[in-house]
Amino acid sequence: MLRRLLLDARAAMASPNRNARSAVVWGRLLGVAFLVCFVTGVYSHLLQDPLPGMRFPTRPVQLYQFTQGLHITAGIAIIPLLLAKLNAVMPALAQVPPVRGVLHLLERLSIAVLVASALVQVATGLVNTYQWYPWPFPFRQVHNALAYVIIGSIVLHVGVQLRIIARYWRARDSYDAEGRFVVDPSVGSELLPPTGREAHPTAGASAAAVPTVGPYPRGLTGRVLRWVDGPAAPASGAQEAAPDAAPTGDGPSADATDAGRASRPSTEATTGRRELVARRGFVAGVTAATVGVVALTAGQSNRLLEPLNVFGARQRHVGPNALPVNRTARAAGVLASATAADWTLTVVGPDVTRSFSRAELVALGTDTAELPISCVEGWSQMASWRGVRMRDLLAAVQADPASSLRITSLERSGGYRVTEMGPEYAADPTTLVALEVNGATLDLDHGFPARVIAPGRPGVLQTKWIGKIEVIR
Amino acid sequence: MRAARIVLVVLGVLVIAFGATVLVTTVRPNRIWGLATWLLGAVVLHDVVLSPFVVGVGLLLRRAGRSLRAWVLVVVQSAVVLGSVLALVVVPEIAAKAHGQKNPTVLPFDYTTRLLVVEGVLLAVVVVALVVGVVRARRTPPLVASTTNQ
Repeated sequence: MLRRLLLDARAAMASPNRNARSAVVWGRLLGVAFLVCFVTGVYSHLLQDPLPGMRFPTRPVQLYQFTQGLHITAGIAIIPLLLAKLNAVMPALAQVPPVRGVLHLLERLSIAVLVASALVQVATGLVNTYQWYPWPFPFRQVHNALAYVIIGSIVLHVGVQLRIIARYWRARDSYDAEGRFVVDPSVGSELLPPTGREAHPTAGASAAAVPTVGPYPRGLTGRVLRWVDGPAAPASGAQEAAPDAAPTGDGPSADATDAGRASRPSTEATTGRRELVARRGFVAGVTAATVGVVALTAGQSNRLLEPLNVFGARQRHVGPNALPVNRTARAAGVLASATAADWTLTVVGPDVTRSFSRAELVALGTDTAELPISCVEGWSQMASWRGVRMRDLLAAVQADPASSLRITSLERSGGYRVTEMGPEYAADPTTLVALEVNGATLDLDHGFPARVIAPGRPGVLQTKWIGKIEVIR
Repeated sequence: MRAARIVLVVLGVLVIAFGATVLVTTVRPNRIWGLATWLLGAVVLHDVVLSPFVVGVGLLLRRAGRSLRAWVLVVVQSAVVLGSVLALVVVPEIAAKAHGQKNPTVLPFDYTTRLLVVEGVLLAVVVVALVVGVVRARRTPPLVASTTNQ
């Protein structure tokens, strides 16, 4: 009963796009995309939670804007690629028998872990960029842990499937002269078209199959497939009359089980052409989806694609000071404290502690810096900042410019109320305690009266509404 | 080959174990249960809803392929795939906006209208491709038969 069901499912899934070669092709692209996301993601994570003694590059100043824009863009590109890959390997879901032994069970479980983690990772990552968190777990910690689970699962998967990957790595080893997929049972793929040893001798594998034998499964599945493929007739003379025969380039699933046609004269060429068109059609579809979804969203982090930003979660130049906002002054609970007339910035050096009003900060001498604000959620924008250099401020309290700092915001609460800054940023001449942006006083939502801006750091670490800066070592 | 496979399998298992360690050390146990339900839900969603749906759509396209030219079918199929992926990305965005923005610069657009416009354009492309394909096929019926029966 179960066996019958699985074989019926396999017959319905059979397609030129669901074989070991397509699994390798989409797997390669998906592997690269996941690796890009992993590396850029770990970089972003370490910037926020550095290991002891870790230092980071401050040039180019747009480094983080680039890596995190890439993280989000590659993550969005993963959506169509992951669907294409899952589509290509779908017959493995209905493999017969479902479990062949302990090792096979473990392997299938590891695939379940990979598929589940990848789907959850990509879906929650996407929705996180919309600042909506409808799940019962903390996003950042889970996103970080699942990243390792996914990369480990991919490495494990590549190890398990290495013989198949090597066998079908190159197109010329995968297709014969007519363009038909070459079945090589010796490498043990679960996706190879069903051979005669399986209950239903569907075509594709054995193009020369005797046409009079019913190639379709019995029952409903067979009837549906026959309706799909039309009256392709055991009587081989009838084909002439079928003008429908335009090669069916179709897609998410196509037509390897075209059993009736397999019996047609000049079968090899026809089958080969049909498979080729079906494959190209599928590649065209996934390419269109990948290019389309990236082009219509990446404008939030890429200047060139800005005019195409149809679906991005952010639009550049929208917001106070022509700059988007993540956390508003209201949300941070600083409406009163940040606008208080007696606001001062306290700077605690090793020996000297001083407090500065805004006027006293300006009196220290201001400088400008062109630095991007780059969010972990992927959006970013260049801005022109004006304020006091951090190193000048440190000199005012007789501290070494290359000091580690602890910066405290006026915020009442929040994970980034207190942040730390490494000496490479504190000493950098472009790191400012900013008072103005884009030629105007900082908006309250951008951190008035003063905020930190440093090169190559995530936006959450560019602390707004600062109240205190302490030298910690 | 054998050595490479062993190395990859061992390395993969170690990295997975590291990920699991990171998970249990940074996420509280009751939250891990929440994650487990989502992981399980993802597998069920894929195996029970998504896969049969894709097989069904594929079979319909294959049925349509009997009477359509290859290029028409490729255009139709590309539009269907792109339209589906855009819907997958933008429908949660619409839901997120309906759920409430934290401030007006988050999700600044009217995504419902934009999605409808883009899907409408894709639909128009499909209709044009179908019409052109049918008209051409009627004008030159013998060509179709001869090319495909070679």
